[in-house]
Amino acid sequence: MLEIRNYSKIYGDKKAVDNLSLNIQPGEIYGFIGHNGAGKTTTLKACAGVLMPTSGEIFVDGMSMLSSPIECKKKIAYIPDNPDLYDYMSGIKYLNFTADIFGVSAGERKERIKKYSDMFELTADLAQPISSYSHGMKQKLAVISAWLHEPKLIIMDEPFVGLDPKAAHTLKTMMRELCDRGGAIFFSTHVLEVAEKLCDKIAIIKSGALIKSGTMEEVKGDETLEDVFLELEDRDV
Amino acid sequence: MFKTLLKKQMYEFFAGFFIDKKTGKSRAKNGVIGYIVIYIFLFVMLGVVFFNSAATLCAPLSEMGLSWLYFAIMSLIGLALGVFGSVFNTFSALYKAKDNDILLSMPIPPRMILFSRMTGTWIMGTAYELIVMVPALIVYYINVKQTALSVVFSVLAVLDMSVTVLVLSCALGWVVALISGKRKNKSIATVILSLVFLACYYIVYMRAYEYIGMVIQNADKVSSFFKTYIFLIYQLGMAAEGKVLSMLIVTVFTAAAFADVMVVMSRTFIKITTNEKAAAKIVYKEKTASRKSESTALLKKEFAKFFSSPNYMLNCALGTVMMPALGIISLIKGEQLVEKLSTAAPELGNILPLAAAASVCMLTSMNDITAPSVSLEGKSLWIIRSYPVDMKKVLFAKLKVHLIMTVIPGVFASACIGASMKLGIAESVIICLISAAFAVLNGSFGLFINLKKPNFTWTNEIAPIKQSAGVVITLFGGWGVIVVLAALYLLLNTLVSPLIFLIICLAVLSAAAAGFTLWVAKKGSVILNNL
Repeated sequence: MLEIRNYSKIYGDKKAVDNLSLNIQPGEIYGFIGHNGAGKTTTLKACAGVLMPTSGEIFVDGMSMLSSPIECKKKIAYIPDNPDLYDYMSGIKYLNFTADIFGVSAGERKERIKKYSDMFELTADLAQPISSYSHGMKQKLAVISAWLHEPKLIIMDEPFVGLDPKAAHTLKTMMRELCDRGGAIFFSTHVLEVAEKLCDKIAIIKSGALIKSGTMEEVKGDETLEDVFLELEDRDV
Repeated sequence: MFKTLLKKQMYEFFAGFFIDKKTGKSRAKNGVIGYIVIYIFLFVMLGVVFFNSAATLCAPLSEMGLSWLYFAIMSLIGLALGVFGSVFNTFSALYKAKDNDILLSMPIPPRMILFSRMTGTWIMGTAYELIVMVPALIVYYINVKQTALSVVFSVLAVLDMSVTVLVLSCALGWVVALISGKRKNKSIATVILSLVFLACYYIVYMRAYEYIGMVIQNADKVSSFFKTYIFLIYQLGMAAEGKVLSMLIVTVFTAAAFADVMVVMSRTFIKITTNEKAAAKIVYKEKTASRKSESTALLKKEFAKFFSSPNYMLNCALGTVMMPALGIISLIKGEQLVEKLSTAAPELGNILPLAAAASVCMLTSMNDITAPSVSLEGKSLWIIRSYPVDMKKVLFAKLKVHLIMTVIPGVFASACIGASMKLGIAESVIICLISAAFAVLNGSFGLFINLKKPNFTWTNEIAPIKQSAGVVITLFGGWGVIVVLAALYLLLNTLVSPLIFLIICLAVLSAAAAGFTLWVAKKGSVILNNL
């Protein structure tokens, strides 16, 4: 579903990501962990088509993000680490804007907006301007917006930050359901317990380089993910 | 603590001169000098207009021994321009900055935050005031015999006035804050209030020379009016003549007004800045929304942004109001004007179509909606970048808003002027087409300059809307084009008729508009994709 092939990103003299390759299959929840500034957001942004790679390529469902960005973006949804949405719109206007861009029919969008906003208990607030939303409400709106066009691949940067426990649980359930239907999810998190319980596969990045990846069992073995992560972090790359 | 806040505020205010917002790196020395030269040039250009008014007024009044009246009148004009220049931004600059939460969470007395932000308002207001007062002082020093004390006091009086400008701007900004906190349609209410203020300002401005004549003819009555009803301004004029008591009175009054406004604003600062959720909750009623095309969705988004921001509307779309106003005024007064002109200078009758086209284009140029539109995406830029949409469509949606808000009033104004001045159909149609071509050129150039110089890291939307070089260059660049075309006509007027020259202008403007639009479609969309 998502193939990152030899992806590198250089800012000036700094190599933010160095020759990273990953393959995410349909049905997989793929976790991406690493310390602050390791290159997670830079990688996720490139996968979402928001950032151009310095070298390497990103493929979504076999199509290159470089040569067919619009076709690739139709299949994905992206939630950044900070949900800076259009403050001047109401929640419902933002959702309708997203649905229009992704070509979601009137009937489908009505049904999905109701379903997901009810799940996140946001329905009553949809007519409110986004500027009046709390961080958590914005995050919920970003999640609903991401699920609105039923993407095949969802890329999320720290999606649980700001969500209340119930909303976090709802999101985990939605993530699993999407993957059970053949979709894929690639997301970053600092909450290793969540990653350990939720992810089918995991990748650990350090200073822009991939230091370990594979199924959860392959990566952590008999230890906890936290122990493995801390051990790898202490080693020199 | 205040020093630190002030440093931050000044850094934000002047960052555009020294930092390239696109790369985050310091500008090259030549770039900084270039920026400063552009601003000085604009300052001088506007100052020349006021120099002429001042020169007309100063000599006769000083001969009558009423030099204080000259200084008082110019100070009033300076005060009006200073308030006009800063008042539209005061509300958002003082109360709506994006660093509200961060600063309010720090152990900083709220009044310090307010005071530090007010320095920006003071600089802005003073800059506008000086556009009037620098030429006014020059004329004053040339025409009126000075002592060392009068020179010092006249400068101090100008400084006092700058504080008065600040006091009035802050007080009006505070009123806007109170009103907008309680109203549903805040943006529209702010715009209407501002436009009423602006209309009054323009009425006075348009009749400035008439008023100057009246002042000179009725100097005695005017001076007694000042002494009786605007005592403080009278004292200001006297202070400039070197009267110590007057200087003291003005300074004490200014300081007292400043202190009063500060006390009131300090006490209400937190309440106003944290008043976001006071508005009644709008209940969501589920309904089926019809599916729109990508282009329509993007256009709706751009309009939503435009109508949500009074700053955006007032600073970048004044032409939308001014053009219909010009059209209506020309219908009422146009015939009279043509008659007067044909009696006074029959040879000027030929260039009426050119003057009509130039005046519509001048007002068209006041609309620079696209110039900050890319920067205004701010931190939400990721949305359109991650959505499956052609960046060309995104840019064209911005251009369409500009064209809808500009071409329709422009064509209306052109048609009205054509009718009132009894221009031929061919001339009227060409003027309409010129105004449309000029609007396309202005809009596409605005996008061009904003894509070249974007700023996504603003803490207050005033930065891209009013303080960015792109907006300044687009606005004055438009006027520059008109000046160049006028100069070209002076060179060619013996060779071509006004109608032919209009056709040449239409061809040149259309070609330039097409060139910039093509650039936006091809290179601009690539740039937006990589920002």
